[in-house]
Amino acid sequence: MDFNVEIIKNALPLLLAGAGITIEISAISVGLGLAIGCLVSIIRLTQFRLLRYLGNVYVDFIRGTPLLVQIFLVYFALPAIIGQRVDAFFAAISACSINSGAYVAEIFRGGIQSIDKGQMEAGRSLGMSWWQTMRYIILPQAFKRIIPPLGNEFIAMLKDSSLVSVIGFEELTRRGQLIIARTYASFEIWLAVALIYLLMTFVVARLTGVLERRFDTSK
Amino acid sequence: MKNDFIKITGLRKCFGDLEVLKGIDLNVAEQEVVVIIGPSGSGKSTLLRCINYLEEPSGGEVVVDGIPLNGEAHINEVRKEIGMVFQRFNLFPHMTVLENLILAPMKVRGLHKDEAKKLALELLDKVGLAEKADSYPESLSGGQQQRVAIARALCMKPKAMLFDEPTSALDPEMINEVLDVMRSLAKDGMTMVVVTHEMGFAREVGDRVLFVDGGHILEEGTPEEVFNHPKEERTQNFLSKIL
Ligand SMILES: Nc1ncnc2c1ncn2[C@@H]1O[C@H](COP(=O)(O)OP(=O)(O)OP(=O)(O)O)[C@@H](O)[C@H]1O
Ligand SMILES: [Mg+2]
Repeated sequence: MDFNVEIIKNALPLLLAGAGITIEISAISVGLGLAIGCLVSIIRLTQFRLLRYLGNVYVDFIRGTPLLVQIFLVYFALPAIIGQRVDAFFAAISACSINSGAYVAEIFRGGIQSIDKGQMEAGRSLGMSWWQTMRYIILPQAFKRIIPPLGNEFIAMLKDSSLVSVIGFEELTRRGQLIIARTYASFEIWLAVALIYLLMTFVVARLTGVLERRFDTSK
Repeated sequence: MKNDFIKITGLRKCFGDLEVLKGIDLNVAEQEVVVIIGPSGSGKSTLLRCINYLEEPSGGEVVVDGIPLNGEAHINEVRKEIGMVFQRFNLFPHMTVLENLILAPMKVRGLHKDEAKKLALELLDKVGLAEKADSYPESLSGGQQQRVAIARALCMKPKAMLFDEPTSALDPEMINEVLDVMRSLAKDGMTMVVVTHEMGFAREVGDRVLFVDGGHILEEGTPEEVFNHPKEERTQNFLSKIL
């Protein structure tokens, strides 16, 4: 079997542009996921039964179904309901954010629950409200603990965002497919694609480590 | 006769099927120091925690400073007036000692940061830890952490203090530095309810000792009466084990 380095070289600009889009969609999705997850995890801690219940249904549904199916739901099923096509970018971002939100909500919940309950009691016994104690005492401590799992979530999203290639959204994996359709060099291109993913996830893992240490020394 | 600052009548508390407090009547006068002793699991912590509503009573009435405790609205009002010190300190680990002290006065009492700092430094000085203002809790010894916890509670200018076994998580050599702070508080006229098995402290500082067992106040009296002439057999048994 001959390995054609030239093909990789030629494809690289396109692939790297695709990687940029992968990073973009992952970052936006995890960013929106953070907002959704924060909201949902707080909803699930409050006394409002109905809200708590809806929060649980959301998290269970997302975690209990494949991302691929969620993407199909947004891209193919949603238009049937609203009677209008949705574009691939919108479908990709919304499916990934909604998905990420559920995982982030679980991460937040774990972080909050890992804080000793004596902290809430100390805050309350000083006369602070539940929300004040949450905001000034529990959340800042929880935040430090959730940096590593949030890093993992971002890494997972970098990889899982490859699924949006099935609706034709041109991120890294889709770019690879398109180049192979033209050149038939599947081994070279998939190898290059894999290495680019590896590089991205490696960098994120490192950054997470740095962030974690930064927050640790300043505690 | 001084006014009763805390009035508890018929207090009951259940956790599910387990009835932990079975009708407690207790009045604590202003400036009085009440010491609570009793075997593990008898409900001492639960009793303290019902006073500032960390546990919601299942029955009976708790009135603090004339305010009956029911409904969320009054709770924070009462908690402002009652400081609580926990067995395991519960300092906020992500804040410096000074930040631990000034947070609640600023957020709850609305003190300006400078006022809060001034007050905090005075109190740290009082517990002998002025030079630790900028340290983080984890760099302090247990005894120092507990003194900070006391200063933190005092920073809210409470009218009464609750102590739940404040020295039982400490190494023996650190117990006295904490008890000294509590002694001086009592001397200054603070109303205090203290769960402790430090008999020396109870004798010296306590106006009244309660022996709690099985969710009841089984016996109460001056330290002299309870420690030297316990009437109940269970009190005698308990004392013979810990003395
Ligand atoms: N949140 C809770 N849920 C269920 N049971 C509880 C709870 N808190 C306390 N209990 C139970 O209530 C009983 C009394 O507990 P409490 O902590 O008041 O005892 P205590 O006298 O303070 O004991 P110790 O000396 O060990 O601190 C125990 O049997 C305990 O297991
Ligand atoms: Mg206890």
